[in-house]
Amino acid sequence: MAFLSIENLNAFYGKAQALHDVSLSCEKGEIIAVIGANGAGKSTLLDSIMGLTKTTGTISFDGTPLNGGPAAAVERGIGYGPERFNLFPYMSVYDNLMVGAFTARNDIEKNLAAVFRLFPRLEERQAQETSTQSGGERQMVSLGRALMTSPRLLIVDEPTIGLAPKVCTEIAAALRRLRDDMGLTILITEQNANFAMTLAERLYVLEAGAVRATGTVDELRDDPRLLEAYFGH
Amino acid sequence: MLQIIIQGLLLSGLYALIAVGFTLIFSVGRVLNLAYGAYLMIGGYAFFFFSQQLGLPILLGVILAGVLGCLAGLLKYRLLVIPLKGDHVAIEISTLILAVVIQAGIVLLFGDSPKVLLPIVPGVTQIAGASVTFNILTATLVSWAILISLYLFIKKTHLGRAMQAVSMDKKGAAISGVNPDHINMLTWGISGTLGAVAGVFFASYTQLSPSMWVAPLIIAVAVVIVGGIGSIIGTLIVAHIIGFMEVIAVAEIAPELRGVFTMLLIIAVLIIRPQGLFGREEIQ
Ligand SMILES: Nc1ncnc2c1ncn2[C@@H]1O[C@H](COP(=O)(O)OP(=O)(O)OP(=O)(O)O)[C@@H](O)[C@H]1O
Ligand SMILES: [Mg+2]
Repeated sequence: MAFLSIENLNAFYGKAQALHDVSLSCEKGEIIAVIGANGAGKSTLLDSIMGLTKTTGTISFDGTPLNGGPAAAVERGIGYGPERFNLFPYMSVYDNLMVGAFTARNDIEKNLAAVFRLFPRLEERQAQETSTQSGGERQMVSLGRALMTSPRLLIVDEPTIGLAPKVCTEIAAALRRLRDDMGLTILITEQNANFAMTLAERLYVLEAGAVRATGTVDELRDDPRLLEAYFGH
Repeated sequence: MLQIIIQGLLLSGLYALIAVGFTLIFSVGRVLNLAYGAYLMIGGYAFFFFSQQLGLPILLGVILAGVLGCLAGLLKYRLLVIPLKGDHVAIEISTLILAVVIQAGIVLLFGDSPKVLLPIVPGVTQIAGASVTFNILTATLVSWAILISLYLFIKKTHLGRAMQAVSMDKKGAAISGVNPDHINMLTWGISGTLGAVAGVFFASYTQLSPSMWVAPLIIAVAVVIVGGIGSIIGTLIVAHIIGFMEVIAVAEIAPELRGVFTMLLIIAVLIIRPQGLFGREEIQ
């Protein structure tokens, strides 16, 4: 079974269904991107992996089903960088990172050093409240907090949204290093298909809550379904 | 003058202790716990029962009062807040009902006449010409010790940070591996303990009576409205503003007006700065 294996996932907000029979798998060490337009269900998919939504279907991670809610998913080794970051606005960068260490207290020194190596700016700004930070810095804190949980799988919702090209490059480099140097498996979502194709090896195209296409970057590069999902109808 | 400063400091320390447990639950659990005053009553009567009626050592009496307060907080979270999840009006109404029920229980167990709690530490001393009972001095020092410990706990420990995190962003806390339900439970326990211990000192400062839950509740609500929720330091400062206003009103104007200035301050703050003087949405 794949490292992360999602089968026939349906997600609901009340009576409204946001995901329809989504199946997706991800091998250890892969970087995968889920591409979709606004409202396609990208955030819902990642929230569902964390156990934050009402779902049917199965999600298993490292051979065992995930069904204990977000805290259990974190403890199993899934780190999440959500769309709106969900940082703690009136706490310092350092304290935000330390909340991430809640279940991984033995790895604090190691993880903190890794985060600061990846994002030197966070080390300089340790004492700053995140409410006063720029979008790019918040994205770094968000990723840093996820890394403090000692994840084996990192899922990140639209890592480049609202960021300047230079910061996008920085974030992409950081994600690639996490896979190459630390062996993390990475699943991101993107509206920016170009960015996704430079970073990921395999893509899933999500449209209206269902998987429309899947394949390697080369297979999908000129696929009309990708363009369709990208530009919408 | 010196007398006023000393009286003000002593009373304010107690008020800060009374208010902090209420602020905590409001910030983390987002519940306006109108039964908070009942924790003080439970604490006061428990201490009376264990120390005065059973004759147990004073420290043990305070600890047992704290344990009962903790249990009351935990039970209330489990039996009332969880089942009513999210329905704030229902939670507030039922907390108020709970306070009245507890009051009835106290009347049943201890009768409805007021009781005088013997001083926790007997004796009187002179500070700068003012006579101060050891009792209130102890209450103030213990209040400060508890407040400082609580501050350090919230700022410096994993659990304390998790409490701040839940108060600021529940989803952010959950995806950091913090279970908000556990943190809420913990906060209810801490709040109940703080309330009960504050109740021991409050009762020894005033007296025990089945209606003693109202006055501290008003103090706590006043501190939260004036200070705004979220800051322990803010709670401390506002407790001092209110404490000093009361002492000055009693000494310089008329004892009958004791609480009136507090009420005027509440109204003024609600009009001018509804989020409170130090108000943010979260504890910090
Ligand atoms: N809390 C919610 N309550 C009700 N419906 C929701 C909720 N969150 C999302 N939805 C709906 O679910 C669908 C998928 O939303 P989702 O946020 O997952 O899309 P997305 O691909 O992340 O979009 P975006 O690119 O704008 O972030 C949308 O139709 C949205 O309106
Ligand atoms: Mg989204």
